[in-house]
Amino acid sequence: MPETVEQTSLVLRMSVILLPVLLFLAVGGVGVYLMLPRGQTRRQAGPRIGGGLLAVVSVALLSLMPLPVDLKQQITEHVLRPLPEGTSCTVFHGLAFVSVAAAVMMITSRNPVYSALWFALVLLSNSALYLLQRAEFLAAATVIVYAGAIIVTFLFVIMLAQPMGTASYDRLSREPLLACITGTLLSGALVASMFYAVNVEIQIAEPGDKLGGPPAWASNKLVQDQLVRSFESRDVSLRGPAATSWRLHGDQGEKPHVLGLGQTLFLEHYVSIEVIGMLLLAAVAGAVLIATQPEAGKVTGG
Amino acid sequence: MYGDVAALNNYLVVGAILFSLGLIGFVARRNLIVMFLCAELMLQGVSVTLVGFGAYRSTWSGQVFAIFSLALAAAEAAIALALIVMLFRRGHSLDVSLWQDLRDPDQPAVVDEKVSDEDIPEPEWPHLTVAGRAPAEHAAAKVEGTGGENGEMLQNSQRSSASRSGPNRVHGVAGASRGVTHDDH
Repeated sequence: MPETVEQTSLVLRMSVILLPVLLFLAVGGVGVYLMLPRGQTRRQAGPRIGGGLLAVVSVALLSLMPLPVDLKQQITEHVLRPLPEGTSCTVFHGLAFVSVAAAVMMITSRNPVYSALWFALVLLSNSALYLLQRAEFLAAATVIVYAGAIIVTFLFVIMLAQPMGTASYDRLSREPLLACITGTLLSGALVASMFYAVNVEIQIAEPGDKLGGPPAWASNKLVQDQLVRSFESRDVSLRGPAATSWRLHGDQGEKPHVLGLGQTLFLEHYVSIEVIGMLLLAAVAGAVLIATQPEAGKVTGG
Repeated sequence: MYGDVAALNNYLVVGAILFSLGLIGFVARRNLIVMFLCAELMLQGVSVTLVGFGAYRSTWSGQVFAIFSLALAAAEAAIALALIVMLFRRGHSLDVSLWQDLRDPDQPAVVDEKVSDEDIPEPEWPHLTVAGRAPAEHAAAKVEGTGGENGEMLQNSQRSSASRSGPNRVHGVAGASRGVTHDDH
């Protein structure tokens, strides 16, 4: 099979291409390790600042690093690629940078209140990222549910339970080196597998397939027929944000966004909606039951 | 039918990095609240990935799954915060090392390193100017109490926790770290 030979060579070239990505991720991991609290006093802020600089540099390098990624066409690409017409590439890069940097600050803050506030910033930039992908309802729900409710509840619990000042356990990490190595390896594996999936699998399996029809992997006639039928039987609105998703207003007679999403939710996933409602109810009941237990020391001695 | 590969790639990279950061935080940090915040961060990474895939495949399924994960996160936060409140009531600390009694019997205990306490600043409570006339007999007490509700609440909890710390339910190491925490006040 010539396809498999081509695939192996692609994989080899992909691994060579991916090495600098992994290197930059490792630099970021070192930065996060330096930033994690390891019992330094407040005046020994040198490693922390240095780690922050390292993390920023690694993110910048990662987003700007030119890669000969497009294997068929040999175009110089970036790890974070420029987006097509209609969107500003800068907007995505800025939002992604804010999100990742706020996440780093969140996991390295000594004060849990600051952690919660940085997490709120992560949520805001993430919901802006959702907006870029035309997930308006999800963006609004993220801001309302997460930033509006969950973060506030976290802050209440912190105010309730946090001792004054910075506690000693907030200034110590547990095995920060091993944790950073694990995180770097995990992110490297995830990015590598995604590169493989996006650049090799898709380009081989669906060559140039941008529009229309069942994909080429459905070579089975039966599967193809089913796919065609399932596509045709749907309302237009059930197909989701169309391929022209970068324009603000679809011009193909689409229904408004929330209408299509609601139809999908309540026509195709109604059982899941019921299940998730039951789960929420059970969680709330359980939370009330757990939190209102009588004074703990008298109940159990162990 | 398919969207843009570049956008998919970007969202996958961002989601992977967020997930890994959440993992690092969850493994390394010791504060219960920060650990659960890190779990939420991992969920956010997954949501970014789901939205990217949904936009690429041009279906609603990605967003639907992300909405489900949002509801799951809400349920998880409710349960987790109730558990944190309960654990704080029992251990009077948010340190996860207090609960290392639950480890497997053949695992070694985590021993805390010494942390210097010198740099802990005294909490500065706002000094509010007394407005209006204070009632005669309680005037002195009122001026004392202008530290704000937080100070009073924390002092109360400290007092009650000191009175409640009865039989030693946690073993030696955890007890030592608890002592350090109380000295911080």
